[in-house]
Amino acid sequence: MTEHLGEDAELYPLGILDDDAARNVELHIAQCSACAQRVAQAQAVAVSLAAALPLATPSPALERRLRESVRPQPTAKLHASLFPFALAAAFALAFLGLGWQALVLRERLQSEDVALVTMVHSHFNHVSMNPQSASPVAAKILYARDGSWIYIIADKPGGTLHAIARTALGSTDLGALMSTGETATLLVHPRERIVSVTLQRAGADVASATLAY
Amino acid sequence: MDELVEAFAARRPLGLEQAYALWSPLFLSVARHIIADRAAAEDCVHDALLRVWRSPNRFSGNREMLKAYLVASVRNEALTLLRRESRHDARALKVARLAPVTTVEAPVVDPVETQRLQGALARLPEEQRIALTLAYYGNKTHVEIAKELDAPLGTIKSRISMAMRKLQTELASPGGSRS
Repeated sequence: MTEHLGEDAELYPLGILDDDAARNVELHIAQCSACAQRVAQAQAVAVSLAAALPLATPSPALERRLRESVRPQPTAKLHASLFPFALAAAFALAFLGLGWQALVLRERLQSEDVALVTMVHSHFNHVSMNPQSASPVAAKILYARDGSWIYIIADKPGGTLHAIARTALGSTDLGALMSTGETATLLVHPRERIVSVTLQRAGADVASATLAY
Repeated sequence: MDELVEAFAARRPLGLEQAYALWSPLFLSVARHIIADRAAAEDCVHDALLRVWRSPNRFSGNREMLKAYLVASVRNEALTLLRRESRHDARALKVARLAPVTTVEAPVVDPVETQRLQGALARLPEEQRIALTLAYYGNKTHVEIAKELDAPLGTIKSRISMAMRKLQTELASPGGSRS
């Protein structure tokens, strides 16, 4: 490791170093806890310096944008022509069982366009979630084969359910399922392909599933 | 571990949302001090927070450290934007000499802390106070400050570093850490 940072530790939080010097600080503190601590202390002073700045109040739009950026957006990019059929298939799977739903879906779609039937079947997959804990929940997931959307349906959720997804980049909170009476659902358009989903109730895992594409 | 810090470190949306709820006026105040345009300043806060939250480097520390880290990130993002777009509004040295902390009629981010800060700044040697004021409130680089004060770069770095460490000692005691 190179020698300690010296005065750059205090200059870095002020944002006054040139790019190379700032990068050197970042690389160094990733390996040196003593300098990381010194930079953290200087950052705290910088917060105190900010106390004297004129107060600015963020617009509600900023919070909305930030929320939309960190939470995968439902429905936004789902292909309009596929959405009604995907939704119909989801409810069919949830309430009628796999055999029944295949029949219902086929009958429903036969009145439409045969080409569309093929398209719908080739675009989504489904999986039952494995129940966990002493009070598990029965749930299914429908998801696009290209990973562009997933639809989670839980039967008799017994409280607010949170969906936690795992992607190649790590875990992310998809948010709470919306209760619709006896069921709770969540439709998500994720930024990254979801590898697995875990449902949590009050912080405890109650069901999980791995998605195969 | 603190629930907020834990959620943020795990990159759960809740972590970023709670941090924003607690400190968003501070973030925007820091950005607007550097970028006058309100919409651009809000873009800056948005981009800086997302960049940190999505960073592969997992945050470790306590709540105050997270707050300081995010404030520094917003400031760095704003300064980068400012310098990239060459809109640096150079301030006259005499402004820094006369007013270490800008006195404004409008509310400040933290009136109580501002009083403590003004007292601590007033106790700094003048040359350190000027260098630090130009750096933080004047948004100047250490190179620009050296040129403006006609002093060696190393001298300017030392003045700013010493000023920061003295402030740290002065501000660390009564009042403690706040959220």
